[in-house]
Amino acid sequence: MKKYTVINTPVHNIDGIAKVTGQAGYTFDIKLPHMLYGKILRSPYAHAKILKINTRKAKRLIGVKAVVTGKDTLGIKQGIWRRYKELCDEEILARSKVRYIGEPVAAVAAVDEDTAEEAQDLIEVEYESLPAVFDPLEAIKEGAPQIHEHAEQNINVTRHIEWGDVEEGFKKADYIREDRFRVSSQAHVCMETHNAVASYTPEGKLTVWTSTQSHYYIKVLLADILGLKENDIRVISRYTGGGFGSKFELDSAQFCSALLSMKLCRPVKIVLMRDEEFMATKRRTPMFYYLRTGVKKDGKFLAKEARVYTEGGAYTAMGATALYLTGFFQAFPYVWQSYRYDGYRVYTNTEPSSAMRGFGAPQATFTAETQIDLIASDLGIDPIEIRRKNAMYPGYEVPGQARIQSCGLSQCLDKIEEWVKSRGKLPLHRGIGVAAYGFMSGGIFNWFDTPYAFSSALVQVNIDGKVDLYVGSQDMGQGSNTTLSMICAEELGVRLEDIRLHMGDTDTCPVDLGAWGSRETLMQGNAVKMAAADAKRQILEFSAAKLGPNIVYDLDIKDRWVHLMARPERGLSYYDAVKETIRGKDGQPIVGRGHYTPHRKGMISPAYSFGVQAVEADVDPETGKITLKNCVTAHDCGQVINPLGVEGQLEGAMAMAAGYGFTEDLPMDEGKILNPNLVDYKVLRATEMPETKVVEVETYEPEGPFGAKEAGEGLTNPTAGALSNAIYHATGISIKNLPITAEKVHDAIRDRERKKKAKKTDRVQRTKQK
Amino acid sequence: MIRDFVYLRADTLKETLDILEQCKDDSKIICGGQSLLILMRQGLVSPRYLIDIKHLEELDYIKFSSQEGLKIGAITTHRTLEKSALIKKRYPVLVDMEKNLASVQTRNWGTIGGNLAHGDPTGDPGPVFIALNAIVKTANKERERTLPLEEFFIDFFETALEENELLIEIQIPVVPPKTAVAYEKFNIIKNDQGIVSVAASMTADDSGIKCKDARIVLGAAAPVPKRAKAAEQMLRGQKLNERLLDQAAEKASKEAEPVADVHASEDYRKFLVKALTKKMVMRSWEQAKRLT
Amino acid sequence: MAKYLLCFTVNGEYHELYIKPKRLLVEVLRDDLGLTGTKRACNTGACAACTVLLNGASVKSCSVLALQADGAEILTVEGLADGARLSPLQRSFLDHGAYQCGFCTPGMLVSAQALLDENPKPTREEIREGIQGNICRCTGYNSIIRAVEAVAKGKYKEKG
Repeated sequence: MKKYTVINTPVHNIDGIAKVTGQAGYTFDIKLPHMLYGKILRSPYAHAKILKINTRKAKRLIGVKAVVTGKDTLGIKQGIWRRYKELCDEEILARSKVRYIGEPVAAVAAVDEDTAEEAQDLIEVEYESLPAVFDPLEAIKEGAPQIHEHAEQNINVTRHIEWGDVEEGFKKADYIREDRFRVSSQAHVCMETHNAVASYTPEGKLTVWTSTQSHYYIKVLLADILGLKENDIRVISRYTGGGFGSKFELDSAQFCSALLSMKLCRPVKIVLMRDEEFMATKRRTPMFYYLRTGVKKDGKFLAKEARVYTEGGAYTAMGATALYLTGFFQAFPYVWQSYRYDGYRVYTNTEPSSAMRGFGAPQATFTAETQIDLIASDLGIDPIEIRRKNAMYPGYEVPGQARIQSCGLSQCLDKIEEWVKSRGKLPLHRGIGVAAYGFMSGGIFNWFDTPYAFSSALVQVNIDGKVDLYVGSQDMGQGSNTTLSMICAEELGVRLEDIRLHMGDTDTCPVDLGAWGSRETLMQGNAVKMAAADAKRQILEFSAAKLGPNIVYDLDIKDRWVHLMARPERGLSYYDAVKETIRGKDGQPIVGRGHYTPHRKGMISPAYSFGVQAVEADVDPETGKITLKNCVTAHDCGQVINPLGVEGQLEGAMAMAAGYGFTEDLPMDEGKILNPNLVDYKVLRATEMPETKVVEVETYEPEGPFGAKEAGEGLTNPTAGALSNAIYHATGISIKNLPITAEKVHDAIRDRERKKKAKKTDRVQRTKQK
Repeated sequence: MIRDFVYLRADTLKETLDILEQCKDDSKIICGGQSLLILMRQGLVSPRYLIDIKHLEELDYIKFSSQEGLKIGAITTHRTLEKSALIKKRYPVLVDMEKNLASVQTRNWGTIGGNLAHGDPTGDPGPVFIALNAIVKTANKERERTLPLEEFFIDFFETALEENELLIEIQIPVVPPKTAVAYEKFNIIKNDQGIVSVAASMTADDSGIKCKDARIVLGAAAPVPKRAKAAEQMLRGQKLNERLLDQAAEKASKEAEPVADVHASEDYRKFLVKALTKKMVMRSWEQAKRLT
Repeated sequence: MAKYLLCFTVNGEYHELYIKPKRLLVEVLRDDLGLTGTKRACNTGACAACTVLLNGASVKSCSVLALQADGAEILTVEGLADGARLSPLQRSFLDHGAYQCGFCTPGMLVSAQALLDENPKPTREEIREGIQGNICRCTGYNSIIRAVEAVAKGKYKEKG
């Protein structure tokens, strides 16, 4: 019998047909009877006191039903790091002070969107502008404007990671290199903008439909700020049009629609416009990176010191996690004898920076991998060789931080080396850069302070053998609905089409923390597998009487066949077994429960993915224009569940990460984003995508369901670094300031030529003098 | 939010011009509306009357004669130009330009007249048509007039169209023998508007050795598509060589008046003008000198 | 403000309705006809999530006044399948995993359909150019390109 009958076979996503026929109903598409439309008024100031808000004119406009301001809130400061009070620093509607351009100040509900928009313009807010600060290196100085009363020098969070003797390491080093990097911001650009439909009824119950990565978080956070009990709130999110880290914190569309609906007892829908999406739904954390690295002349890594200042923006959000993870992944995926990281998250008067796909790791990987190539080049070592020499391996322990179980990094390096060699001699002005990376499979930390298991699942087997699977996870396009159904079918021994998945509804689904930090496959997957195993065991217990094994563990189900494992031909139909079991249980359906919370797995994650990526690019030496040619990735995600899904995740992450590398940026002027639209914000189009190839390196991760681990987020990590290295190998120029625009490359090449010329003239003159 | 307006749809040119005359104080013409509707949504433009000429078939044509050259009706879509066998044969540079202009969707609905009348200095057709010596024909209720496209553009998003006037036709006079035109824009995302663009038209003398005439037009490098006249003058009557090309390109770059924005600095844009000018002059020259 | 009569055919069905002239084609399709498959994702005509066919040509329905579609035939994503029988492109999108969150998918499918209607055998480069106007933030496009290519190569002829 085949080892697996369901997993490791490419399948259509279970919600694919709904998506290709236009039948998938997103929150964006919801229209309820008697529904109103809301708009949010936002601060035009980066830092200002609110002196007065006059809503009279707006309320008088025909069609306007309600206007709410900070006075209509409980005044609770909220945040997702609920365990740490001082990190809950964000009011849902600012009451006395605004701290960034785009901060919500008031909201209005009206009979249609146009009326709401008109009313928004009639709300009069009197501000007193305050001195503002935008650059973290300025904000941290003494005398800089203080953004929050509690944060001196605007320091929001600090992080320290250290192991080994760093000073000793530098002493022993043959070669020490220092580099400074400026890593830019990035917008998530979910195609479905943040939105919500809230409906409060006189019974005191609130239902919120929303586009989210975690309906559980939204429910709890709404309960916090509205003063309701968690279970008086129901959050529903069937389809989510992209998340990428931007949709698991409480968002203005959610709380404003809820506030308005509670006031009116009518459904209120709020959909953010694209410019609001850019200005006020958080973004990737920009960082200033200082790296000092000591190595032996054979390339052995001895010591690394990293100092990071992140541009936090006005509030904490998930930024504290990004600060930790960038420090942790700076040392990844290598063995460092000693390492010291000091990170400072600094408040600034800009849009808060927070979680975005990769979560601090893309910043770390870009800086680390760029520097490694510079070191390799300085020492005359092959870039793949230096990585191989220092690669993590199965069983390695990151001191005080993490234990690596499965690790296919060296196989990935081999595969990429093979491909690089197959490219032969490259044309002029073309280069190949590689970058190695790793990522977590869900986080261990519980800053949210949930008493629940991190993931739970419920399986119900019905009389006809069909299976209802209830999960708390959220599919935002990454395909977890399909992955989890596959895990359930495999474990239970049925086919994928036997599973009916229920998700996206806090009333009917068990708790899961949501789709972020690459946690669903491993964490929710483990819970599903456990629930399916629980249900299966009940069926096997009843089947045991018929099949007569020595012990029930000798039985299994595969492809709807209950059998003795040693003699697979001896068995009975799954359908008969299910019927018998239900009959034997007083006619109750078979219910299996599963849950998962990592424990004793270090500080970060229960498991880590690994990979190596090669990017081949052309650089026009005149204009500096970069053209991507090829991108090949060898990725170890443990046991692959759905190969089609893995491939899609890898390619998609690459496109987003390449944009981060050379086209996407959020330039600001005094805290105002200058390109808050999809004309001026440059995401890659089909014409910019290179040919992509994915080489899967399978390992077995003991902590993951069937050996599976992360496969979607980590791929955002390597591309900027690999691209930066490709440019370096094509031109000899290393740009340490993302994004690597054509203009930056052009300027650097021109500067180099000027210097060369100056040197030459200098030499000619000196010769003449002689 | 789009403000309410009165929608007026004319079925003939005459009718359109009558309406335009009546509503001229507060009206806008819509055809493809690919730029206009965005401005209206942002509240930057909110006319009381919107006159729809999308269905004005009498302005939808591409005509060519060897005596008069090319005539394009103003509501001809970008896509029609791109797909026209006639254009492809006689003005391949236009096909090239159209293929790289925005998305297929925009080209399917957007029109050449609308594009020019929008007066966006980053538009693609402006520089190419000016290089081709194009003339635009406008009309109001009383009269028609023609003027060189070069004079049609007055400032950022401002044209010579009077408020009661409609752009009705674009003409390209007979192209002199041994003339070729090249156009390219520099961008990072294909089909985006150019960070800068350059069109060059080169005419070789009978022997194919000297440059008889040159027209160089810079896009996105000034408030309007701008002729680099000093650079052109350097080329006229000269044999082309690398040094002269460099000097002319340098000159064009000095003539450019680009401004910095989020996509590029002023310096970089000037550099790009230089690089593209050299490339376009060379490309058009190589073709021109071989023509019979 | 007066309302105007709009008569047009959507997915083969004839409609007559009175609308304000400022309404965009996408709004009428979604709000009045309930065809919510067509999406909106930007306010600047830059993402093409709202692509529909208008008399066979792809257009951004957010950049067309609804009244300009008077007398036209419109095809939206809902019109691609014939009952339960998916179109070749839809089947190929499923097989190639050419969608993830699915929000850009309707516009992407319609754009790709327009490309194939016009050029049944596009090269890979022509496919890239044909869907260039459509933003997809999830897939990185290559699976979409493979899906279109497979249809162009005749892999989805009939049977379904």
